[in-house]
Amino acid sequence: MRIGLGRVRSWLGLAGVLLTLLPFALSPGATGAATSMLIAALFALSFNLMIGQGGMLSFGHAAYFAVGAFATVHAMMAVERGSLWLPTPLLPLAGALAGLVVGAVAGYFATLRSGVYFAMVTLAIAELFHTLAPNIVGLFGGESGLSAMRQPWLGLTFGSAREVYGLVLGWAVLAGLALYLYTQTPFGRLTLALRDNERRVAFLGFNPHRSKVLIFTISAMFAGLAGGLLAVANESANYVLFGLGYSANVVLHTFIGGSTVFLGPALGAALLTLFGYVTSDLTRLWLLYQGLLFVVVMMFMPLGVGGFALEKAKTARSADVSRSAVVYGLRVPALGLVAAGTVFVCETLGVLLSRDYLAQTERLGKMLPISVFGRGWMPNAPITWLAPLALFALGLLLLRLADRRATADSMAESDR
Amino acid sequence: MTAALDIADLRKSFGRGADIIRGLSLRVAEGERHAVIGPNGAGKSTLFHLVSGLYAPDGGQIRLHGRPIAGLAPHRINRLGLSRSFQITSVFPKLSVFENLRLGILARQGWRFTLYRRVAGLPGIGEETRALIDQVRLAHVADRAAGNLTYSEQRALEIGMALASDPRVLLLDEPTSGMSRAESDYMVDLIRAVTRRRTLVVVEHDMDVVFSLCDRISVLVYGQIIASDSPAAIRADRRVQEAYLGEEAG
Amino acid sequence: MDFVLFSTLNGIIYGLLLFMVSAGLTLIFGMMGIVNFAHASFYMLGAYIAYSLAKLIGFWPAILLAPLLVGLIGVAIERGMLRRVHKHGHAHELLLTFGLAYVFEETVKMLYGNYAVPYSIPADLRFPAFTLSGADYPFYRVFIGLTALVMFALLFWLLRRTRVGIIVRAAVRRPEMVGALGHDVPKVFMGVFGIGAWLAGLAGAISGAFFTTSPNMALELGIIVFVVVVVGGLGSLEGALVASLLIGLLTSFAAGADVALADLGGLVGLGPAMKAIGGIFTVKLATIAASVPILVMLVVLLLRPSGLMGDKT
Repeated sequence: MRIGLGRVRSWLGLAGVLLTLLPFALSPGATGAATSMLIAALFALSFNLMIGQGGMLSFGHAAYFAVGAFATVHAMMAVERGSLWLPTPLLPLAGALAGLVVGAVAGYFATLRSGVYFAMVTLAIAELFHTLAPNIVGLFGGESGLSAMRQPWLGLTFGSAREVYGLVLGWAVLAGLALYLYTQTPFGRLTLALRDNERRVAFLGFNPHRSKVLIFTISAMFAGLAGGLLAVANESANYVLFGLGYSANVVLHTFIGGSTVFLGPALGAALLTLFGYVTSDLTRLWLLYQGLLFVVVMMFMPLGVGGFALEKAKTARSADVSRSAVVYGLRVPALGLVAAGTVFVCETLGVLLSRDYLAQTERLGKMLPISVFGRGWMPNAPITWLAPLALFALGLLLLRLADRRATADSMAESDR
Repeated sequence: MTAALDIADLRKSFGRGADIIRGLSLRVAEGERHAVIGPNGAGKSTLFHLVSGLYAPDGGQIRLHGRPIAGLAPHRINRLGLSRSFQITSVFPKLSVFENLRLGILARQGWRFTLYRRVAGLPGIGEETRALIDQVRLAHVADRAAGNLTYSEQRALEIGMALASDPRVLLLDEPTSGMSRAESDYMVDLIRAVTRRRTLVVVEHDMDVVFSLCDRISVLVYGQIIASDSPAAIRADRRVQEAYLGEEAG
Repeated sequence: MDFVLFSTLNGIIYGLLLFMVSAGLTLIFGMMGIVNFAHASFYMLGAYIAYSLAKLIGFWPAILLAPLLVGLIGVAIERGMLRRVHKHGHAHELLLTFGLAYVFEETVKMLYGNYAVPYSIPADLRFPAFTLSGADYPFYRVFIGLTALVMFALLFWLLRRTRVGIIVRAAVRRPEMVGALGHDVPKVFMGVFGIGAWLAGLAGAISGAFFTTSPNMALELGIIVFVVVVVGGLGSLEGALVASLLIGLLTSFAAGADVALADLGGLVGLGPAMKAIGGIFTVKLATIAASVPILVMLVVLLLRPSGLMGDKT
């Protein structure tokens, strides 16, 4: 079954309207978070051009993101000094250009290798940037980084979070559209073929190395654009952007969202960034949960959440709906229970073992309750440990039930 | 007249004691259907890899319609009019049959690094792809992913991809291997139909296929061509009997 | 002269330590085709577990027990996780180990905080092994080197002189063949994964007390270990040893070298020009010591991807 293109278009149109109106409903802080979501989404799309479409696993994509950010800050500084004329909305183009140039050079070498070796080359290039950047003060501003101010343009001051959001949204939509149209071009189709079978591409008359360099360059250009948007939003850039942490994040975002679906990585990036923002006040363990989520997705949903959902949507027939509704009616709360149990234990342990808590216990001579899920729990009360255990056990039991039900269903299916 | 393919004193070694091709010479005339036969390990696949550019030879020359091609990259050789299939099916498994073949058509038409036009809007591409699909008789599975085809459908697709660049010289590496008699007959019929007005070089183990399809046969033994002649003459050649057919019989 | 001597000693001992961690990584890659991004995490876990155990059962029992626990974690990962995603291909396995490395780091941060823990060697082990022109050379450093040497000898004996070793070496080259001969390849995989993790854990347990035990240690060492394995040739144990020593010496000398690229350029008459350009050329080599191994890895990957001794590409 194919999903109607018209319906997809109208959904996307609706999403566009909502995204445009969003900042009018949000606080400046939340608008800033929405801006980060858009940037992360664009970065993930650029990364997925490499892995999802071109089949090239880059472990150092933050390099091009960071290069774009620094180029944009340099452009901003030049505008500030008056030595460059570039309206603020066009600043991210400096990032895209830098990403393109650096990506072309790095890509030329990296694509000489494939598979694991390609991944290692990309990792090494990014690490090289990461270790060298703090020593090259002129370009990267040393350990403290560089900063500049956004200049007003045509009556827009770009002083408010809302205006910045608008600028980022415009670029993200434009770039997302460009990346989508890319998939519809002859070269976009060739990209998929390179992923499937690189050797065969050469025997059809295409130059595989040159093609891969071009894919790498385009991907780095969009990563640079995303980095440029970050620089415009933050009015600064720091060498830590080159770090493995940023490269790792985009990998996690992309594969949790699903690299086989065009918008999967963007959704993954946006949602995880949102969760990170929402939970950052509640817990310092968000990164752990994000990592656990990634591992669970890799284990049980190899196509990512997006790929999984699309698969289900494709194969779902009306006769199956009621049946799978029962299975998922069990599975979803089961996963919720397991997650709640995990979070419970992690939060308790995280506080219990923290220096502050240990010092406090020492000082007061007794332990104070730890707040999890809006209630205080005494670390030395059995309930504090039995409760998450019960959540966990109940979740696993439900999962087992759901599995049994699903097996029974598929057996009934094959009997027919 | 220049030969379609003229190979002179070709050499390839994979390290000491692994001389696979040892001074091989072979002429294939324009329009010929030429089979290369020989025992396992004689170097037949290596010969194809050298001619198609997957490996670079250590010595000797290969001429395609008079042009030297030894050591050129595969895509260059392809553009000069030589195309090949693979012994182990090599298609794009996640792409549809239509997409697999369309890529070949795009390459031939020069739409290689095109980023400014939608593939659906390119003139003539769709029609040509569909014509090619009909030619290799895969219209009924045009929208199926190549990885989900049956084995013989994949073999037909493999030939279609080799044909997409409209080559003057076509190399087919064991096109009927692993097929039942009926499938193999169907494949021979298909190959005969699609290779009209082309030069065909085929590596094949099945002697029935070789004798029914080809009008000239070369025997490759231990890295050298020991005989190159008409099927009847090859059948009668004593050296061939000893080196190859004899071994098959015994 | 003393600088050369001390740098050489430090370099060799650091190199031997690197070997303990990279041995498992290269064997696992050779056999299973998996680049295990979580391998350096085993090193980190070894250090943290030993730190916790040392408080309960004392230093020596802790550095014996901690690696065993890490080995068990390795076995659990191989059996429970990697084997399940094997059908999705090597890229998928690699991504899973990448996720695990991430989770391990965050777990350690959750349990022990973001900063280094005070894991240190017992006071009665803080004595000089010998004195060289007035400077003491710590005994514990020598101990680290000796342990690594013993482990190398043990590994070498296991691989060369025992039946299991023959199977493992054959499985590195032809896993499917070894399986066809009726050997239990999955069990061999599990064993190698466990021993590799155990060795990395041992390296962490011992050296964590001497160097620092912090959540960054996996990432920092992990990159160097990748360099070692790539330079030595993915899958080659002998290569890993040679490359470990090479990288150990290289980092040791680069860290102590008070020269800049421009000074080296001066030897061929380019000094002033390079100084005029400034930037990268006037940075002291010591400050970019971290970049040197990475540069070496990049060059090897591009020029000779099979490494010094690898025969697989």
